[in-house]
Amino acid sequence: MELLQPLLRSLETGSVYALAALGIILVWRTSLVMHFAQGSMGMFSGTAVAFVLNRTGAPLWLSVLFGALVAVLLGFAVDFAVIRRLKRATAVGKEIVTLGLIMVFLGLAPILFGTDPMLLPKAIPTGDVSLGVANLSYNALLNIMVGIVVAAGLFVVLQKTKVGLAIRATASNESTARLMGIPTKTVTLLAWAMAGVLGMLAAVMIAPTTTVTPTFMNTVQVSALFACVLGGFQTFYGPVLGAYLIAVASNFLKLYGSSVWGDQILYLLILVFLLVRPNGLVGKTYLKKV
Amino acid sequence: MSEVLRVENLSISFGGLAAVDDLSFSVSDQEIFGLIGPNGAGKTTVFNCITQFYKPDKGSVWFTVDPERLAARRQKADNAEGQINLVGRPVHSIINYGLVRTFQNVEIIGELSLVDNVLIGGHVDFRASMLSQMLRLPRARAEEKAYREKAMEALDFLGIGHLADQLAGGQPYGVRKRLEMARTLMAEPKLIILDEPAAGLNESETDGLAETIREIRRRYECAILLVEHDMGLVMSVCDRICAISFGKFLAMGTPAEIQQDPLVHEAYLGERDDV
Amino acid sequence: MTSTWSAAARRALKNSHVQFLILGAALLLLPVLSANGIIKTSTLSTLGFVLIYAIVAMGLNLLLGYSGLISLGTAGFMGLGAYIAAYVQDNLRLGFWVALLAALVIPTIIGILVGVVSLRVRSIYLAIATLCISEILLKTFEQAEWFTRGTAGKQSTFPVIFGIHTDRRFMFSVIVIALVLIMMLTHNIVHGHLGRALHAMRSSEVAAQAMGVNVLKYKLFAFAMATLYAGLGGALYLFFLRSSYPSSWNLFLSLNVIAMVVVGGLRSIFGTLAGAFVIFAVPELVLKELPVVGDIPGLPYIFSGILIVVVIMFFPQGLKGLADRVRHALTPRPPSVTKDAAVVQEATR
Repeated sequence: MELLQPLLRSLETGSVYALAALGIILVWRTSLVMHFAQGSMGMFSGTAVAFVLNRTGAPLWLSVLFGALVAVLLGFAVDFAVIRRLKRATAVGKEIVTLGLIMVFLGLAPILFGTDPMLLPKAIPTGDVSLGVANLSYNALLNIMVGIVVAAGLFVVLQKTKVGLAIRATASNESTARLMGIPTKTVTLLAWAMAGVLGMLAAVMIAPTTTVTPTFMNTVQVSALFACVLGGFQTFYGPVLGAYLIAVASNFLKLYGSSVWGDQILYLLILVFLLVRPNGLVGKTYLKKV
Repeated sequence: MSEVLRVENLSISFGGLAAVDDLSFSVSDQEIFGLIGPNGAGKTTVFNCITQFYKPDKGSVWFTVDPERLAARRQKADNAEGQINLVGRPVHSIINYGLVRTFQNVEIIGELSLVDNVLIGGHVDFRASMLSQMLRLPRARAEEKAYREKAMEALDFLGIGHLADQLAGGQPYGVRKRLEMARTLMAEPKLIILDEPAAGLNESETDGLAETIREIRRRYECAILLVEHDMGLVMSVCDRICAISFGKFLAMGTPAEIQQDPLVHEAYLGERDDV
Repeated sequence: MTSTWSAAARRALKNSHVQFLILGAALLLLPVLSANGIIKTSTLSTLGFVLIYAIVAMGLNLLLGYSGLISLGTAGFMGLGAYIAAYVQDNLRLGFWVALLAALVIPTIIGILVGVVSLRVRSIYLAIATLCISEILLKTFEQAEWFTRGTAGKQSTFPVIFGIHTDRRFMFSVIVIALVLIMMLTHNIVHGHLGRALHAMRSSEVAAQAMGVNVLKYKLFAFAMATLYAGLGGALYLFFLRSSYPSSWNLFLSLNVIAMVVVGGLRSIFGTLAGAFVIFAVPELVLKELPVVGDIPGLPYIFSGILIVVVIMFFPQGLKGLADRVRHALTPRPPSVTKDAAVVQEATR
């Protein structure tokens, strides 16, 4: 039963990775852009949360609300000012642009929010739930719940609502969707804003375990990308599955393998896994149109 | 006349939908063979199965290879008739056997000159090692020079030799189509597959195309397999035609026979443009 | 007589290899100027790093420009080259040449392994796989103290080459020679059979395959060359600076190298050199000297980042495209579509 404790802890980090990965996959499916700046945009709005909280003494929920506003505006701005104007650029060109955005946000954050590292407190500072041999802090429980509820909510929206239908239609074929009268531009705008908020949530959830610096989202970004690789880029739920798997595997590798090299061994394992299942866990083989 | 290509019981389906269903036909040496069918009949899919861009679910694609060519690649034939089965072989190996194709939406390299585009067609024949190419050793340079001359011949043959040093990207559609054809000639092909060579050409260009296709056969002594919507071109240039509909075999015969075939008429009903 | 001479000279000037040699000769004047105190030693150092990054960026240009593949592992492989060079020279005491060779070969082998695994499915996996390798290498640089001395930093010395005890100015000349050789090598690659295969692959993977180009092999080739150049750049960096710290080899160096390629112009050798100058030297020599603005933290990042975005959006051919346009505007030409004009058309389409 000593497995329960690390498993629960994995669920917490898994939720963080899952939210970030969902943002990446939303953007990928709607704009066909590999969103390398997901982590740094999350870092930016997450730092905004910490900044407001530390400077004004506003409560956490209000700061997070402010962070969400920043994230939405950021997502809108990036899609409106850059991504949608790249229709003629190659796929690689778009990827390079998101790499350029990393640098922009990385440079902007210290200018706007100062160079001193900041702290972000837990949403629920103290308290544990006891589950037999294992303990779980209220805050961890909250993070797990947020991850699961947000991911599940997103799936419901995608499957049951008109907006979700528009997103899925755009994801499956952008030009057909446009011909059918779906406002694909609004859909991608929405996807970028949602990705921004998801990144911000991931940042706020992971921040209490570290300090808020321009690089604090790096691990999340890498893990989220690998979650997409592991889960496959063809479905929305694949990356979420991948995120939780990565978190669990990482925790156990760190515990029973090497505490220093756990993540790195895991990434290598995933790369090797690609040799066996090139399209990820739930990926279908995809056919190039000739 | 000996056969160069034999397609046997070819089947492939996408998501449970049969795109090609138990199709068989064969192309003779130096024959101009047409594959026709209404839109969505699976013609291009057949091409993609032959050239291994798609892996067929069932069936085989037998291709007759010159013994010297096989010997040069240190390979053996798969059957007693000296043929090899293309199914399952890597896409990039197909051209080695003398089978080369063009694409529906002209795939040329805009950033390279016309002559460099044609040289790509000779890719598999370059023998100089990577290192000698990187260091521009005499052998690599001699080889480059020889193939450049060969490429110029192909361009001249198709009447676009005077454009050789211009970039392919800025050229009009007709030139790009000719360029793609010139590229197929570099590989000393036994069979050239043309995917809708007349699409996008005007009437006089199409007339010229029929003559060009016959010229290619005469000069390069190869067979030609083409998919085409322009019935005028197909009927005037092809020796034999295979008609398919919904991936299934419909009829086979000379242009005159195909024009008389009731099944073909039925399949084309409603497609007034084509008949 | 003089007219045939000048015609021959003009023809020679059009030869790219001659141009590279002239550039090299001009650059070799810089250490002399520095020895005479005409340019500052710090400026010479900055320019040395520009040339090192130019070498690395030319490798990435083979990958990004010619093959359309992204690597985020440049910094990791460059760092690996640097640490290997230091380890072989200072710990194993095997001398400059063995150190250089090891710094070229080992990163390349690792690069090929990464490529074999990641390039099979989708090109974009290379970016993710190299991002991961970069993280692993960075962690190695921090943790493997026997090899790198960890965060304390690895200190090294100027190498002894052919019995000569070198110094910073001498090393600058070595870098110039390496740069000229790399430019020639790159030129040979892209203007021959190999370059055509890379072009074909980027332009249309299906057409390339139909023409017999083994796409995986050429992707691997391009990636291996990019790693090789990065390893060389790393070794030169170490011999020039005589130290290496893990923090130098983070993701942002990789992104900066991408910026050099993009800003200079994809598929241009001189453009890449210009890109390296803009991305590395301009923040170092110009931005830092500006009043007020110069003190802003993170300014070089924003500078590179915005340049990347703006160039991709508005000037996809980078500095090279701009130079072509200027040259085209200045030289009168017959109305037919010439090669340069077509380049401009492509660029503006």
